[in-house]
Amino acid sequence: MTLYKREMLIFKSHLRTNIIRSAMFPIIFIFFFGSIGSSSINVNVAIVNYANNAQSLSFINSLTSTRTMSVVSLTTQTDALNQLSAGQVTAVIVILPSFPRMSAGNPAVDVYYSTSNFEAVQAVLPVIQQAAGGFGSNILANQQSYGVTSLRPLFGTTSSYVVFLVGGILSMTVAFGMTFGAGMSIITDRQLGNLKSFLISPISKNSIVLGKILAGATEALLYISITLLVGAMDGVGIAMGLAGLAWIFVIGIMVAIGFAGISTMLAARIEKIEAYTIIAQVIVMPLWFLSGAFFPTTSFPSFMQPIIALDPLTYATQGIRNVMMLGYYPIAQVALDVGVLAAFMAFGIIGSILLFKNYTD
Amino acid sequence: MKNIIEISHLVKKFGDFTAVNDISFNIEAGQIYGILGPNGAGKTTTISLVLGIERPTAGKILVDGMDNMHNKAKVKQMIGFMTQETIVDSDLTAHENLEIAARLYHLEPEEARQAIRIALEEAELTEFKDKPAGTFSGGMKRRLYLVKSMIHAPKVLILDEPTTGLDVHNRVQMWEHIRQLNAKGVTIILTTQYLEEAEELCNKISVIDHGRIIATGTPSELKRMVSKGQVLEIITTREASGKIAKVLQSAFSLNATVKEDKIEAYMESNPLITFSEVLHRLMKEKLPLISISMHLPTMDDVFIKLTGSSLRDSVGENKSDRERVMFRR
Repeated sequence: MTLYKREMLIFKSHLRTNIIRSAMFPIIFIFFFGSIGSSSINVNVAIVNYANNAQSLSFINSLTSTRTMSVVSLTTQTDALNQLSAGQVTAVIVILPSFPRMSAGNPAVDVYYSTSNFEAVQAVLPVIQQAAGGFGSNILANQQSYGVTSLRPLFGTTSSYVVFLVGGILSMTVAFGMTFGAGMSIITDRQLGNLKSFLISPISKNSIVLGKILAGATEALLYISITLLVGAMDGVGIAMGLAGLAWIFVIGIMVAIGFAGISTMLAARIEKIEAYTIIAQVIVMPLWFLSGAFFPTTSFPSFMQPIIALDPLTYATQGIRNVMMLGYYPIAQVALDVGVLAAFMAFGIIGSILLFKNYTD
Repeated sequence: MKNIIEISHLVKKFGDFTAVNDISFNIEAGQIYGILGPNGAGKTTTISLVLGIERPTAGKILVDGMDNMHNKAKVKQMIGFMTQETIVDSDLTAHENLEIAARLYHLEPEEARQAIRIALEEAELTEFKDKPAGTFSGGMKRRLYLVKSMIHAPKVLILDEPTTGLDVHNRVQMWEHIRQLNAKGVTIILTTQYLEEAEELCNKISVIDHGRIIATGTPSELKRMVSKGQVLEIITTREASGKIAKVLQSAFSLNATVKEDKIEAYMESNPLITFSEVLHRLMKEKLPLISISMHLPTMDDVFIKLTGSSLRDSVGENKSDRERVMFRR
């Protein structure tokens, strides 16, 4: 693994630049765009009014006037809970028919919320309690766990848009880091003559290619850590905890190997760095947008869905969001995400080995 | 002496273009072998074929008796290569550069440590070993590149235009280096566009043009191939040069070329007698002479005679071609 060692030494010699460069992207996106929607009204709440009397309407008015939440009125509790499950609202307030009357075991207002989104709820719960208190109602906080039936956390959870974003930025930082790392370094090595000195040495071409790709995967560890660190500085945690952290690294490295492979394949055929930059961007940019890095893939028109289903970044983003937002990663989802990413990885490695097989300087 | 490299009926085609067209030659161990030719003649392709980074269309190359396409790793282990560009990793320190080179050639750790230490000493870089190569001067980089290319103690060193772009001082130093390596028993193959370099260094030279070898021999053999005559060179004043040329033409039927105040003519037969007669005649006519001399044809003359074009004239063209290649990449 001579080439691996060399790439790592070069990476180390530029460590400071590399850290700064790889931190720029997450900082800009997470701190600036991550705050989209975090105005004073930053929590979506669904209200189901079964009482439908003067008091209940004025209760809803008082909630709206606090401007701490954006209120959607729905007719049935089932609809509302479905939205909660889908992550489109942070909490569901159900005003029971008896409102504002209540008794000890018989509250007038129920609040449902998803445990995976606890922080946002904590911000609005006191407001709801205070407003309900004005009508002499108390609240039963129904601490049931919702939001787990959907495997696609949705943009609707405004309070955690930044968490949503971190997943997308993470896979993107890795993908960009690889296209402008591994492949680019092959082109500059060719221009400077280094590639020739590897080719005339007794090491095999495969070990050159694998060295480059593995070095890329190692560099991705830094990119992932930096993105998570920047996210943490903006208050983004990982719902699944340490196991989730491990999953993020596994997914991130698979993305890294796949993209390092693709960039190596491009570099095997493209000699000019300008052409490489353009082609790499044409490939990576759409993959990025289609992966749902900024908004849920469900909001794309239906004719794009098949393309989205073919985008390996979709599965990476999806997997990372599972562990970051939902807090657990169902086995069927793991099989799909990891399966697709493994195939992507194999494509990158085998493709670059094959393209370099007949390569001569 | 035994042949370290045997090239037989080598052909390399790129599509319709035949870069190397049925070349055969042998290189004896311990020689300095020159490959001379204008740009596009097939020098670099021949070198690439010997290095094993291009696959020949036909023919084969034996290095120390082994086919370089079948025993790739073994053959590559025996060959060192150096080009006119200085190839070092400028981000890595001198020591790291050599360490990577040692690994590329599968040196054992102990062996590598030893080789790196000696290499650093030879390149006079021991005290700078932990500095990035990018901070080195051109000469230091060049020395590092040389020892890096030699880290695995190859039996054969291939130099692709080793002194192109070097100033006179560095060129002479490089020649000295090449001779020293050769004295240690390293066979050297060198391509060059400098005729005096080939003349100065090589035991044997092959002149290549259009993918074919058009002449092979020692420098003096090649010169004799051109003619047994000598070149007459007269320096005079600018005004008199035309007159002298006329005299040479009419009295001695010598075709003279006039460059400002310098006249050159080629004396094919009996150059010594012709020379003295010319001298007498010019003195008698009281034509101003600053100097008059004669010498054997230079390699440049050989080259013009063999290929019909001057190597010197194509140097500028070579440069821009190379730049074009760089830009294309």
